Amino acid sequence: MKGCILAIESSCDETSAAIMINREVKSNLIANQTIHADYGGVVPELASREHQKNILPVVDQALKKAKVSIDELEAIAYTKGPGLLGSLLVGSSFAKGIALSRNLPLIEVNHMKAHILAHFIKDENKEPELPFLCLTVSGGHTQIVKVKSQLDMEVLGETLDDAAGEAFDKAAKMMNLPYPGGPLIDELAKKGNEDRFKFKVGEMEGYNFSFSGLKTGILYFLRDEVKKDPDFIEKNKADLCASIQKSIVDALMLKLNKAVKDTGITHLALAGGVSANSKLRAAFTELEEKACTCYIPKFEYCTDNAAMIAIAAHYLIESGEIAKQASAPEPRMKI
Amino acid sequence: MQVLSNSSISLEESSKFIEQELLGCFDHSNFIVFRGQMGAGKTTLIKKICNFLGVEESVSSPTFSLVNQYSTAKGQLVYHFDFYRIEEVEEAFDFGVEEYFDSEAICLVEWAENVEELLPNKRVEVQIELTLEEEKREYTISLHS
Repeated sequence: MKGCILAIESSCDETSAAIMINREVKSNLIANQTIHADYGGVVPELASREHQKNILPVVDQALKKAKVSIDELEAIAYTKGPGLLGSLLVGSSFAKGIALSRNLPLIEVNHMKAHILAHFIKDENKEPELPFLCLTVSGGHTQIVKVKSQLDMEVLGETLDDAAGEAFDKAAKMMNLPYPGGPLIDELAKKGNEDRFKFKVGEMEGYNFSFSGLKTGILYFLRDEVKKDPDFIEKNKADLCASIQKSIVDALMLKLNKAVKDTGITHLALAGGVSANSKLRAAFTELEEKACTCYIPKFEYCTDNAAMIAIAAHYLIESGEIAKQASAPEPRMKI
Repeated sequence: MQVLSNSSISLEESSKFIEQELLGCFDHSNFIVFRGQMGAGKTTLIKKICNFLGVEESVSSPTFSLVNQYSTAKGQLVYHFDFYRIEEVEEAFDFGVEEYFDSEAICLVEWAENVEELLPNKRVEVQIELTLEEEKREYTISLHS
């Protein structure tokens, strides 16, 4: 079938497979309980042996759901990096295997570029106008990227230590909230006063971020308060969550605003799993008041998924960037 | 367990401490475990050590990726682990942790508590404790063999 791509994503915890035809997602499956249940297995979340168990069922179901047979595929795409080597190897070996046996072109995709290109998946959402700035925020990454074209991107700034999503999760942990704490902080913050406590986020040069100092600040603050009142965290949970959330979101917006001002680019995109955070979404869309146009993709294309790998592959195929069989994962791959 | 040194220093003074105390640890073992509560400054200290080793890649938290790989100015491999997300030792086996541990590379390990039984016998341990002053930490270096 013309333009039919099978894409595989296995950079971290999720094993995902998607079928895409001409920028339209025909299926986008992520290995989870249901897939395991169909195959009678169990589901610890992490790591490469899990990917090995997941990859066959997830690809199989992606094909079935898209009503596409393996003979109709025209290209195989996989995540080359960044990610965990063991996990990446499962996706790359599998993709190379199919490409070799079916004599199909192999496309290697950068996971971070794919997060951004998810904006170009054909659906009811508007596509960003080029050039645009993209703020990518997830559990493992925090970047501001200048997107000149689908294939030409430049990282303006990134985190020098913890990712924004990680800052959320670890702050939650310090307040004894269960993992993953990010969504819980968002929920509790809705009932809290975000100006009650002040937490400082490290000031970095240019468009870079640092969230490890925030963690230490919270640690010392809680230690001192808990000394005075052992129930301090419990009593002030909502205000703490709201204040911490504000610090993180403000730090992100500060640098995004600076990038808008310096580059003059007014088309802005959000990407990555943390874009589910309601405070971040609100702060981001507020930029529309400053004559910016803001784009947020559907949430299913924000968290790690193979549809975004497929859309990135779509553009690579267009420009004739086909990988060799010697292609190998690159755990610390740059944009 | 043999205590090699114990010192209380501020972050500004930490460069001298790394040069004089920590880099010497590699004479004992290439495997160094960093212990301390969240926010104590484990990643920050490892960043500085990597700086001294001439690592050019950006050293960031591997909490999400579990392990980051760098190389020193002399071309030696460095694995920077974070087992924070690991709940069962099985999960560490699943990503092939023993192959990393058994390599000749320098291993800098955070949240080793979660994989205690997998740690090699011979290793250096760096304990980081908070002090009453926010910018100071107490570092205890010991040799485990």
